[in-house]
Amino acid sequence: MRLENVWLRYRRRGPWVLRGTQARIGPGEVVVVLGRNGAGKSTLLQVAAGVLRPVRGRVAERPGRVGWVPERFPADQPFTVQRYLTAMARVAGLDAPAAGRAVADWTSRLGLSAFRAVRLPELSKGTAQKVGLAQAMLRPPGLLVLDEPWEGLDAGARELVPAVIDEVLATGGSVLVSDHRGETVRLPGARHWTVADGTVTEEAPSAAAAMAVVEVAVPAARVAGAVARLRAEGHHVLRVRPGDPPAEPASTGPGQPDTDPALPGLGQPGADPAPGPGQPGTNPVVPGPGGPLGSAPASSGPAPGGAPEPAPAAGVAAEGGPATGASR
Amino acid sequence: MIALVRLRLAGFLRTGRALAPVLAGLVALGVLYGGGRAQPAEAYGVSAAVLFPVLAWQTKVLLDVEPDGQRRLARVVAGVRAEEVAGLLAAGVAALGTVAVALVFPWLVGGVTGPVEPGDRPVVIGVALGAWAHLLVVPAAVALGALASRASTGSAGYGVAVLALGGVGAVVLGLSGSVVPWLAPPVMATARAVAGDLTLPTGALLTGWAAAWSAVALVGYSWRRRSRP
Repeated sequence: MRLENVWLRYRRRGPWVLRGTQARIGPGEVVVVLGRNGAGKSTLLQVAAGVLRPVRGRVAERPGRVGWVPERFPADQPFTVQRYLTAMARVAGLDAPAAGRAVADWTSRLGLSAFRAVRLPELSKGTAQKVGLAQAMLRPPGLLVLDEPWEGLDAGARELVPAVIDEVLATGGSVLVSDHRGETVRLPGARHWTVADGTVTEEAPSAAAAMAVVEVAVPAARVAGAVARLRAEGHHVLRVRPGDPPAEPASTGPGQPDTDPALPGLGQPGADPAPGPGQPGTNPVVPGPGGPLGSAPASSGPAPGGAPEPAPAAGVAAEGGPATGASR
Repeated sequence: MIALVRLRLAGFLRTGRALAPVLAGLVALGVLYGGGRAQPAEAYGVSAAVLFPVLAWQTKVLLDVEPDGQRRLARVVAGVRAEEVAGLLAAGVAALGTVAVALVFPWLVGGVTGPVEPGDRPVVIGVALGAWAHLLVVPAAVALGALASRASTGSAGYGVAVLALGGVGAVVLGLSGSVVPWLAPPVMATARAVAGDLTLPTGALLTGWAAAWSAVALVGYSWRRRSRP
């Protein structure tokens, strides 16, 4: 899809929000749109999605199937989740059986099963956002446009977004996503567009941007072997540190289905939606945007490659390219 | 597109906001038929004129009840043209429902009578003319309501102004002796025509007039929507 010399303003003689924008996104690519508040990120995304029509210029080769997740899902509607999603599936052109299957599939995968009979205005912000995500995926999109998709999602649910993006990319689709919370570090292979003063510029990919930092918890007795294997596979092991003590499992009552383990259904068999980094027995992975383990406590362990101290578990920080798939 | 029409009709009926224009229409019909009995064609002609602003208001409510964000989602999923047309079709279906009520209502309250004097039209002819008069009003009312909707005007104040001007203008500009009657849809002219000796050329002229006015108004609505998704 190409944006060719796109100009847009919201009213006659109003200020131009986009001025001569040129951009291109290809199949299998994900682009993160960055910019300060009011710079025009949402406008750019809405032009790409087909919501807004450019005053001048054009959008060429937009895929026929577009999924758009607005920044705020319009929850003020007199429908239940089930009825709304079914209706949107029918609007998208699915017949009744296909619509039923798609709705059942995505409500299950996004942890919305317990909310099917709940009316949209009664949903929490994060759950409503999931409904917005579901409606965009009912018909597999060739272009998925996500406007601040992490807004309102809890820690576990934030992992849903990269998983959905991966699914679109895997089928040759393209993804445009805006973010001002720094969540797009979860997408280490993404191109970056910056919107400022009505124009869009693309950041040149740097070597640092092509790398991601992954924290892996392994049993302490197997640290040396794990480090050796990671190095043998070409990864750069940054450091080894003792593992954090196991955290008390969070109590989630039956009335909190937001914590439904949705991720396994998204094709990430190793992922667990709840645990944080450093919990033994899991394989949490944390991306590091500005540097390796920027938020992690100082390591008391030996330098990379050194012999680990005996401990129940240890964290290994390894750096690898996006192709490792270890960015989450 | 049918799915989107159904979704919008469901949203309109489930919010309860449909009640206001329907009640207003029933009150207007009650006042209209409360004063005595009339021949069907004559009564229906006035009924159609009275319902014109009610149907326009009903259309505005139907289109406004959908959140802006949902309308834009529908635009992405169904396509720009389908989204616009689906809204108009949903409004048209709702208007036909109200028209059906308006056609039945006078028989329930004894507001119409059969032929009384020689030369009076048979009931069937009167009802047919009445249905024609109402159907003539529907597209014009839908077009006016669409022009007054939030998607077109961008604000509630402008929307009410458009609705009020359109409703009053249809009456004032449609009075006998108006210099520019063609600026308004022919609701008053139709009421006069069905009460008198309606000829086929007059009927064709009124139909063409209503269609042309509605088409121009709908083009205006579509033009407004170009920059207001």
